[in-house]
Amino acid sequence: MNLSGRSPASREKRLDTLSAYLGETSALLKEYESTEVDQRIRTFSQSTPDDVLSALKLLAGFRDAMTIIHGPRGCAASSVQLALAPAQEGRRGRWIVTNLNQRETIMGSDNKLRETVKANYSRYAPKAIFIVATPAVSINNDDIQSVANELSDELGVPIIPAYTSGFASKASVHGNDVAAHSLIKQLLPSTRGERGEHVNLLSTTELASDCHEAERLLVALGLESNTLPNATSIEVFRRAAEARLSVPLDYEATTYLGNALQELAQVPYLTLPRPIGVVATKQWLSGIGAATDRVQEALHLHIRETVAATAILQSSPLRGVRVYLSLSPSTALGVLDLVQELGGEIVGITVEHLDRLSLEGLRHYQQKASALHIHIGHGQGFEEVNLLRRIKPGLYVGSGSHITQIAQLGIPSLYLPRIPIIGYRGVVSFAREASKVLRNQSFVANLAKQDSVYLASWLQRSPNWHIKQEVK
Amino acid sequence: MNNHYIEHSRSGCALLGALATIAAINRVVPVVHSTAGCSIQYQEGIVPFGGSTPSGAQWGAPLSSSNISQKHVVFGGGSRLREQLKNTVKVVSADLFVVLTGCATEMVGDDIRAMTKEGREQGFPVICANTPGFGGSFHRGYQQAIRALIEQLPELQVEATPRNSLVNIWGVVPQQDAFWYGHLQQIEALLDESGIVANTLFGGERGLKEWKDIPYAALNVVVSQWGRETAILLEQKYGTPWIEVAGLPIGPLATDRLIQAIANYLPLDADALQSIQQRKQQQFSRTLATLGPVYYRIGLQREFAIVGELSLVSGVVYFLAHSLGLIPKLAIITDVRADEHSEAVTTSLIGVAGSSDISVEYSEDAGEIRDLLRSSDAELLIGSSLEREIAEELNVPLLAIFFPVADSLILNRGYLGDSGALALIEDIGGAILRSSRSAVSVDRVAQCAG
Repeated sequence: MNLSGRSPASREKRLDTLSAYLGETSALLKEYESTEVDQRIRTFSQSTPDDVLSALKLLAGFRDAMTIIHGPRGCAASSVQLALAPAQEGRRGRWIVTNLNQRETIMGSDNKLRETVKANYSRYAPKAIFIVATPAVSINNDDIQSVANELSDELGVPIIPAYTSGFASKASVHGNDVAAHSLIKQLLPSTRGERGEHVNLLSTTELASDCHEAERLLVALGLESNTLPNATSIEVFRRAAEARLSVPLDYEATTYLGNALQELAQVPYLTLPRPIGVVATKQWLSGIGAATDRVQEALHLHIRETVAATAILQSSPLRGVRVYLSLSPSTALGVLDLVQELGGEIVGITVEHLDRLSLEGLRHYQQKASALHIHIGHGQGFEEVNLLRRIKPGLYVGSGSHITQIAQLGIPSLYLPRIPIIGYRGVVSFAREASKVLRNQSFVANLAKQDSVYLASWLQRSPNWHIKQEVK
Repeated sequence: MNNHYIEHSRSGCALLGALATIAAINRVVPVVHSTAGCSIQYQEGIVPFGGSTPSGAQWGAPLSSSNISQKHVVFGGGSRLREQLKNTVKVVSADLFVVLTGCATEMVGDDIRAMTKEGREQGFPVICANTPGFGGSFHRGYQQAIRALIEQLPELQVEATPRNSLVNIWGVVPQQDAFWYGHLQQIEALLDESGIVANTLFGGERGLKEWKDIPYAALNVVVSQWGRETAILLEQKYGTPWIEVAGLPIGPLATDRLIQAIANYLPLDADALQSIQQRKQQQFSRTLATLGPVYYRIGLQREFAIVGELSLVSGVVYFLAHSLGLIPKLAIITDVRADEHSEAVTTSLIGVAGSSDISVEYSEDAGEIRDLLRSSDAELLIGSSLEREIAEELNVPLLAIFFPVADSLILNRGYLGDSGALALIEDIGGAILRSSRSAVSVDRVAQCAG
């Protein structure tokens, strides 16, 4: 791992991350197994998030820190949701935007940044201050580092720049790595205390109830969990260096952090699937059991917990339902198993991006459903609408704001971000939510009466029409 | 507006304002030429908290967006825009496409005017606006989008003879005023009662057909300072006169004032107008009287603080102070900058409140706003959902009606006219009833006595 630079190399360079693809899963796997993966681009694209947004969401997890969004005011717009988040989610981050104007984007903005840091430090005395770079300051290459160094010394508080740019990577998930890179470099204590008994539960934006479920399972195994960087504090983050090991709740978002902790603080990082569905949760627990001398305990816990879930599996509302998923890769590959456990049939998946971190899951998908295509696209509703008009699934499970356009096709749709899906309790809540969506479809029927925003000529075209190999 | 840093900013940038404005015109579709993320800032930060979602751009998501990458930042994104534009017209059904730029493409210097012209030469209905986020606030984007339409829509490059009863309405900023759709519909309805046809231009079915009527209006009516620039532009372009009213019209008194102001320019029957207004005032007054028992029981007569945008603050303060007996103590204006011009705004607000006891402050920084509210000793707070934290701290009821609104659902409600005024009373009453502090607190009595 190269932690020397101010930010990690793009996710594309490190992990062959793809953001556009529609085709055979086997062909894609072959590409990943060969030496080179060809990047694709879109000749027509729709709104998609960037690394700034991911970094902001990750950093909002620190309750006792403050985030300074260094850029024009619009770069802070989405953070309003963080200021308004329900208190029980523990992610109500305080943030300030430097609100750059045209002059400052031309002449430089370090004075404005300095003033913002100082004024708000004296108002709130946070335990750390994050400075998140935006496209405008990134293009100008404004000097954030020297302001951070200078004020860090003056105020005696860690000031941590995260060098996101909005364009260095096409995959927004890259922003998690950029934020983790900065946190690790600047927050880990230089001398490590004694190795503790706690386990780092790596989580970025999971719902509080999903974190609680994972923590409950760790406690049931007799382990103390140290959850970070979601709904956490600077102190908890520092304790990560003394943990017994790190386990991911979503490996897509936290592998960089886990690997860095392993390399810098020798905390072993377990590569595990997301604990979604009975089988993957068992796998997750057994992995942790094996690493902590709790193999039997993990097995017994699994048997105990499965009893409640079995009843749900048997009376599943998904039996025989054709299901399409449009989610992050780690979530899609997890929910895929859960849907099959519930008796549903997967008829296709869209993943936000794909890279080497999900190859094992992709092989698993290909074995289970060899004839199916895979679609890679984040928020590309026009491609999904085109595709789903052909596939006509009985249920769509998605996480994007284009879910309304899918529902408009008359397809019952489940919006996943608000539904707990982790562990045994996740099986119960997912089944219940799916059952509601399938039982009453009157709202979907009304949406279906509205005109489509897409031209008929587009919907008749091949859905991968606008995905091309990148010319180097 | 303010160029200070801002904690928990309650307005997006110019690009996001232009996006919301364009999306609120039926079958007019924005094409964002910027880095990825900009449109998501709109979808995640504006759409959930800006009230009515514009149906024009398919509920705000997803949007055509060029998502320029590193290569385009280095070598220019013009060719990417050409490709995106050429393909947008083949995928999305629309009457007009509006290219909007973000910070990155402006800094790189992409020539979007040339690209847009090229598109038009190929027969695509497309115009453009330069709307980088560093160029201003959400409100500025509203003005820029409107200017682009007026200056570039071919059908608006005409010499027009005005129609006597038609007026254009400017200054309600879609999704910055969370009640924008309801407010526009209410303005339309209340003018209609007096025989005035309001061209409100945004929301629902309102599309290019309505925009093509702009030159034929006899008057432009500006209901917030954000509509002024457009009215001046239209005066220069078509010679249309304009008026600006101090505050959105809430209740019969304010409605009457608005109609009288318009009547100076339109050939309306003064006697008929007067009898309509008299009838409405009597009706309103009867309904207001039914409030009696609750008014005393819950102590509706309160000293209140209000945090929000000038036009709605003025409307609310005027109504509550002149019809309901509430006492405005503090107004914090979030869309006017404290400078040499704000003196006039303060004077105007004191006039609106009918009392110089009101203190007027200017800030959009959440920290500063909290400090001002802490020292206000108000018994009722009207603001945005960002004031939830301080309302809980101070244990005062909060009604969130300014962006961002996170704790109520708005489809086409609004607070204008007579029915809107009653809805405002209902909502204030609801906020008081839901809060724990219905009896006068002992601490407070002690404080006053001491």
